[in-house]
Amino acid sequence: MPIREDVLVVGGGLAGATAALSAAETGASVRLVSYKKSTLRFASGFVDALGYAPDGEGPIADPFEAIAELPADHPYSVVGEDAVREGFELFDGVVGDAYRGGHTDANALLLTHGGTVKPTARYPESAAPGLASDPRDALLVGFESLTDFDAPLAARHLSAAGVPFSVEGVTVSFPRRFRADAKVTRFAKALDRDERADGAGTRRALAETVAPHLGAAERVGFPALLGDERADEVRADLEAALGAEVFEIPTGPPSLLGLKLEDALYSALDEAGVRISTGNPVVDYEADGERVRAVYVDRKGQRVPYHAEQFVLATGGLVGKGIDSGRGGVEEPIFGCRVPHSEDRYDWFEDDAFGDHAFARFGVVPDAELRPTDEGGGPHFSNLRAAGGVVGGADFAAEKSGGGVSLATGLVAGRNAGEEAT
Amino acid sequence: MTDTPTVVVIGGGSTGTGIARDLAMRGADVTLVERGNLTHGTTGRMHGLLHSGGRYAVSDQASAKECIEENRVLRDIASHCVEMTGGLFVQRPEDPDDYFEEKLRGCRECGIPAEELTAEEARAVEPFLAKDVKRAIRVPDGAIDPFRLCVANAASAERHGARIETHAEVVDVLRDGGEVVGVEVEHASGPGKRTSPANAASGQRTHQASGTTEEIRADYVVNASGAWAGQIGDMAGVSVEVRPSKGVMVIMNTRQVDTVINRCRPKGDADIIVPHETTAILGTTDEEVEDPDDYPEEQWEVDLMIDTLSELVPILKGARTIRSFWGVRPLYEPPGTGTTDPTDITRDFFLLDHEERDDLPGMTSIVGGKFTTYRMMAEKISDHVCEKLGVEAACRTAEVPLPGSEDAGVLDDYMESFGLRSPVARRSAQRLGSRSREVLGGWSGANPVVCDCEAVTRAEIHDAIEGSGTDLNAVRIRTRASMGNCQGAFCCHRMAQELHPDHDERTVRSALDELYQERWKGERHALWGEQLSQAMLKYALHATTMNRDGDPAARDEAVDFGAFDAGPAAEAGSADASGDRAATDGGDRAD
Amino acid sequence: MSDAEQPRSEDDFEPVQVFPEAEEMDLRPGADNCYKCTTCDSVCPVAEVDDEFPGPKFQGPEQWRLKRKGDEDIDPSVMSCSNCMRCDNACPSSVPLSQMHNAARGEYVEAQMDTLSREYVRNRVLANYRTMAELGSKVPRLTNFVMGLGVTKLFNEKVLGITSKRDFPEFAEQTFREWWEERGGAAASKKRAREARAERGDDTTSDEKRVAYFHGCYSNYNTPEVGKALVRVFESFGYEVVVPRQRCSGTPMFANGMLKDAERAAGVNAERFSGLIEEGYDVVASCTSCSMSLRQEYPELFSMDGVEDLSNHTYEAMEYLRIHEDLEGALEEASVSDRSYAYHAPCHARNQGLDRQAVELFRDLDGVTIEDVGPSCSGISGTYGWKAEKYDTSMAIGEEMFEHMEHAAGEVGMTECPTCSMQMEHGTGYEIRHPLQVLEEALT
Repeated sequence: MPIREDVLVVGGGLAGATAALSAAETGASVRLVSYKKSTLRFASGFVDALGYAPDGEGPIADPFEAIAELPADHPYSVVGEDAVREGFELFDGVVGDAYRGGHTDANALLLTHGGTVKPTARYPESAAPGLASDPRDALLVGFESLTDFDAPLAARHLSAAGVPFSVEGVTVSFPRRFRADAKVTRFAKALDRDERADGAGTRRALAETVAPHLGAAERVGFPALLGDERADEVRADLEAALGAEVFEIPTGPPSLLGLKLEDALYSALDEAGVRISTGNPVVDYEADGERVRAVYVDRKGQRVPYHAEQFVLATGGLVGKGIDSGRGGVEEPIFGCRVPHSEDRYDWFEDDAFGDHAFARFGVVPDAELRPTDEGGGPHFSNLRAAGGVVGGADFAAEKSGGGVSLATGLVAGRNAGEEAT
Repeated sequence: MTDTPTVVVIGGGSTGTGIARDLAMRGADVTLVERGNLTHGTTGRMHGLLHSGGRYAVSDQASAKECIEENRVLRDIASHCVEMTGGLFVQRPEDPDDYFEEKLRGCRECGIPAEELTAEEARAVEPFLAKDVKRAIRVPDGAIDPFRLCVANAASAERHGARIETHAEVVDVLRDGGEVVGVEVEHASGPGKRTSPANAASGQRTHQASGTTEEIRADYVVNASGAWAGQIGDMAGVSVEVRPSKGVMVIMNTRQVDTVINRCRPKGDADIIVPHETTAILGTTDEEVEDPDDYPEEQWEVDLMIDTLSELVPILKGARTIRSFWGVRPLYEPPGTGTTDPTDITRDFFLLDHEERDDLPGMTSIVGGKFTTYRMMAEKISDHVCEKLGVEAACRTAEVPLPGSEDAGVLDDYMESFGLRSPVARRSAQRLGSRSREVLGGWSGANPVVCDCEAVTRAEIHDAIEGSGTDLNAVRIRTRASMGNCQGAFCCHRMAQELHPDHDERTVRSALDELYQERWKGERHALWGEQLSQAMLKYALHATTMNRDGDPAARDEAVDFGAFDAGPAAEAGSADASGDRAATDGGDRAD
Repeated sequence: MSDAEQPRSEDDFEPVQVFPEAEEMDLRPGADNCYKCTTCDSVCPVAEVDDEFPGPKFQGPEQWRLKRKGDEDIDPSVMSCSNCMRCDNACPSSVPLSQMHNAARGEYVEAQMDTLSREYVRNRVLANYRTMAELGSKVPRLTNFVMGLGVTKLFNEKVLGITSKRDFPEFAEQTFREWWEERGGAAASKKRAREARAERGDDTTSDEKRVAYFHGCYSNYNTPEVGKALVRVFESFGYEVVVPRQRCSGTPMFANGMLKDAERAAGVNAERFSGLIEEGYDVVASCTSCSMSLRQEYPELFSMDGVEDLSNHTYEAMEYLRIHEDLEGALEEASVSDRSYAYHAPCHARNQGLDRQAVELFRDLDGVTIEDVGPSCSGISGTYGWKAEKYDTSMAIGEEMFEHMEHAAGEVGMTECPTCSMQMEHGTGYEIRHPLQVLEEALT
C-alpha cells in the first residue's frame, strides 16, 4: 500500500520547508522528505534578500529596488518582486517575534564574526541590538578558547568599516572552565542550565567577568552561544546584571542561530500538518511519460516508493548536495535535470578567490513555473518544480541573497504544486 | 678582506638554506636573501620524496649511490622532517620483466637495500594496491617535509649568526672592477615581509623596512636560485643555461598508502605516490618551460595523474583531491649537450665558478641536482667557497642534527601530551620534534586547536609567528595549518586573528587576504566532487557569513549607515519628530 | 543527496584490513566526505554537557585522517561517546561517523585498555546483558528481589561501577520465547495468519506474507508484551511469524568497544536469519536499536556471510507494515481507550528515518492524543547511563526530554526503545508503552 500525498517536497532546508508550508496552505496533503540535517545548521541565521548587485555594487539599502535590475535568468526575475515579498511574509508568519526586520523594506547592517558588517533582510531578535545603524556605543566580548571570534580585532575592524558608534573589544575566559576544544553547544548548555561557576551561576559569573570592561557601552555583543532552550532567560539575566542590552553575533559552524531557525521551521511544518520523513535519501524516481509518479527513498538498503501528484525539488546546491559534480561534469543527481556548465573544468572558476565564479551559479534552469528545463527549454516533467539552492543563476554568497531566493522560489513552487494537485 | 669573510647566498630553497647553514657553521658571516618566503621556489613545490636511490638505480647509478648515502644522513640529522615510510617499486602485468630485474640488480649494485615481494606480500603492505599487480621491490624510500627541513636549516644558520632575509628580491648583482661584490635587494612591502616586533626588539635580527632597497656587500656571492639562476646570471652579465622543466603534483585528502609507491617501468609520467604528512601526493610530469614564473597549469596534467596512478591504486579514481601544484626543476646541462627530451637531462648538479668560466670572480652558481642530496651539494659548494675565502673549517652538517632533531627519542615521548587530545599531541610532536616541550609546554593560557584538519594549536601558530612574522604563508609551511581538506575555510581567519594585537588590524586583514588567495591558487585545480562542495562552503562562510568580499572597510566608498534599518524603535521614532531616542540617534549619527 | 549512499563498486571505499594481525580497519578514506561543517557536533548530546568529549567530528573524520600506519593512540575520550549515532543522521555529507567511532572504540579497547581494569570488566558485563538476563530470568522472582536489594546495588556501584541510582529492569515471569513455544510456535502462527487472511479475503495459501521476528533481549526477558503485540498485529494482517533462535543484536557491545563479542553474536544471527531470507522471509524487529544494528552496523563492521542479506531484508516492525499494508486505512476505522501520550523518538529510530512514524500514524487514531516531546536524546544510550561515572551526564542529557514530557499533555510515555523507556520512566515516573502495544489494542 503506497505512501501517497498530493505534494511531495524533497529537501528539508529553508526552500523545502517554505515550499511545503505554502503547498499546505492550498489545502493539499504534503510530505517533506529530507536526508540529513540542512545547511541552516551552519548558516548564520540571518535571512538575506539582496545585499549586493551582481556587479558587486553595494551594500544595497533597498533590496526591492535592486531586484528590478537583475538579469532575466536570476531566480528573482523568474518569480518576480511580489513573490519575494510574499516569501518574506510567509517567513515572518513562521518565525513571529523570534525575528526582526519585517517592519521595513530596507536592509539592515549586522555585525559579522569576521569583524565587518553585512546587509541582510531578517535577523534573529537576539541579534537586533547589534544593528550597525544604531549609534549606541558597543562592547564586544570574545572568549579565550573560541578561535572563531576575536573581539578586540573585530572592534578595530568595525571602526575601519566606518560604523557610526565607538566600539571596543575584550577577550575573557568563560567563567565555567572547559577544555580548550569545548564546542559552542557546551557553552550554551552551561548558560541554559546556569551551571555553577566561580561560586555563582554561569550567567551571573559571566556578567561579572564582563562588567569591568563595559565603559560607556550601552550594548554588549557576544558570539552566538547565549543559550539554546532558554536563550531568552539567559539574555535577560545578562542584561539585568550588566545594565546594558545584550546581542549575539553569528559565528562559523556550528551555528546555534541557524539551528533555532531550523527548529522554528519544523514546528511550523508540524503545525501545518505536513508529514515529515527524514534520515533517508531520495535516490531515484519513476515517471510515466512527462509526469513523475513516485520517488524512491533508500532506507538503508530498502527502496521504498513515495507517490504524489506534484513534486518539489529543494535539495540545495553544491553544499547541500542537490548539485553533484565530478571531473567529467555537473549534474542534478535525482532526476538528472540539466545543469548548464562548461565542458572545460577550468571555466568553472576565476583565479581571484572572490572572483565571479561560474560554479557559484550552478543549478537547474527553471521555466516561468519553476519547472527545471531540458536542452530544448521545455520542462523535464510537468509536475516537478525546483526551489532554493538547486536553482541556478544566482551567486548567493556574493549577492547575499540565499535566504530570499529560497523563500521566494519555495513559496512559488509549493503554491503552484499545491494548487495543481488539489 | 675583513677577519670574518662575508657571503651572500641567493635563494631560500633547500640548497640555499643548506649552504647558509654549512658556511655559517664554518664561521662565515652569511646573509641569505630570498624573494619570497623560504621554499618559495622549487623546494616548496615537490612531492617530498626522500630518495632511496632506487629511482636512479638503472639510469644513473652515481646519483643512486649519492641518494642512499644522503638518505641515511638525513634520517639522522633531520629526523623530525623525515618519515621512514619505505617504498615499493610495483610492477603491473603489462610492465616489462627485464626492467624489474634490472632495477633489482641496480639497487643491489648501488648498495640500496632491496627486497623482492610477491603480489600478496606487497598487498599486505599496501592493501589498496590493485588486485592484479605482479610483484614489487621494497626499498628504503621515505617522505620528507621540505618546508620543515628548510626552516630548520635556516634556523640553524641563524643560530650560527647568519641573517635570513626573506621577501628580499635581488634586483642587481653588484660588480666592482670586474668582480662581484654583493647584491642589491628590494624589500617587499605588505604582510609578507617579516617584521615581527619580537625579533626586532630582541635585536637578533635586523630587517629592513618594506618597500626599500638595500645593497648587501659581500666577499663572495653564491647563486643558489635554482630555476631562476639564469636570471641572476643575466644581472651579473654571465650566461647560465638553466632548462626549467615543470612537473605537476596532485594532493589527495587522505593517505591511501603509507609507503612510497613507484611504478616499476622505464621513466614516464605519473609514476609515483608519496605519503606526505596527512596526505598522499601524486606525481608527476616533466615538460620544459620557457619561464619558471609563467607557464600553463593544465587540466590534462591533473587528470593524467589520477587516471594513470589509479592503475596502481584503484581507490584513487574516486578519492578526493584537495589541490594541485606545479614545480619547476632547475635542470642544467653543459652547453652543447643538446638533449631534447627533458626527462633525459641529467639530474646531477653543476658548480659553475664564474671566475673560471666567465672570468668574473666573486660568484659561483649552483644548478641542477636533487632535493635528497641538497646537503651534499651544499657541502661541495661550501668547500669551494671556503677555499676561495681561505676558510679552513671542515663541514659538520652531516653530523650535527638540525634544530628539532637534536633528540631523536622525543617522538616516542609525545605521550607527555601538554593537555592535548592524543592525536593532536602526536601530530604536534611529529612536526615539532625535540622542540615540542619548548613550544607546547612553554605556552600559558588556553591552547585551542586553530587548524582542525592538521591539528595545529595556538601555541604552535604563535611559535611560527615568532619565527616568521606576519607572513601567514610562512606560518603555514612551518605548521601545516590550512593545508588540510578545508583548505583554510575554517582556519585562515583564525590564524590571522592570532597576529592581533601584536600587529594592527590592517596588517591582519591583508595577511589574511594573502593566505586566502594562496590557498585558492592550488585548490582551483581540485574543483569537483567533495572539494567543489568544500570550496562552495568556504566561499559561503567567507562571503555570506563574514562578508569578506563586500567588506566596507576594504572599499573606498563610505557606507551611508543612516540609509539602513536601525530597528523598529528608530523607525517609529523618526516618523515622530519629537521622539526622544530618534533625536539622540540622529544627533549621534551626524557626528 | 550524496552519492555516498549509492551502492559502491568493488574498488571504492570499503573497510580493508590494513594490519591483519591487529584486525584494524582503514577508515581514513571515509574522511574524504567530510567538509568540516560541524553539523555532527551540533547534534551531539554528549559534547553539549561534557566537555571531556570533543565531539563526533574530532572523534571521527579528523582523528582518522591524522592517523598513520602503526599509530596506536586513539584518544581515550572515544569511550565517552554513547553511540547514539545522531551524528550519522545529521551529517549532510555522509561521513561514516558511527562506523569510525565503533572502529576507534574497538581499537582502543583492544590495544589500550587494561582487560583487568574495573572499567573493562564492568563494560563487558553490561555489554553482555543477555548472558546475565538468561540466568536471571530462569528464576525471575528471586533475581528481581536480589537486584532490588540495597546491598546488591551497593556491590554493583562500589565493585563494578554500575550506578545504584537506577532500578534494574524486572525480569518477566514468562519470557517471550516461553510464551511463543507454549502458544504453539510457528505452526500456530501459520494457522492464525491463514485464518486472518481468509477473513480479509486474501490468498490463504500464498507464501508471500512471512516474517522472521528479531525480538532482541529486552522483549524476550523483560517486556514480552511487546513481542506478543508484534506477533498478534502481524498475524492480523495475515503474516506468518517465525521466531528463530538468536543472540544479542550487538548494540551494547559496539557501544563498549567489544567488537569481538559483537562479531560472534552477529555471526550466529546472520547464519540463523539468512537461511530464512533465502526462503523469502523478511526480518522485523520491535527494538529500533536492534534493527539499526542489523541494518547498518553489521555490514559496516563485519564481512561474514549473510550479513549483507540480513541488512537488506531487515525492517522495523511498524515501518514494514507501513510499506506493505494500508496501515493508515486500518487505523481510520479503529479506536482505542482514551489516552494521551508523550512520545520520544529514540536516536536509533531517528537514524532509520522512523522518528515521525508513530506520531504520524497515531495522530488521527480515535482515542489517542499524541505529542512528540522533541528531538533531544534521552541520554541513556543503552548501557551508557548505567555506568556510575556517566550517570550524571546521562541525566543531564535527559533533562530536556524530561522537561518536555512534563510539559506535554500526556501522562503515558511512548517509545520504541527499551532503554529510552527505562530512562523516561526513571526521569518522570510515567508508565511507558511501545507503539506496537497501541497498534495491538487498535487492530486486534
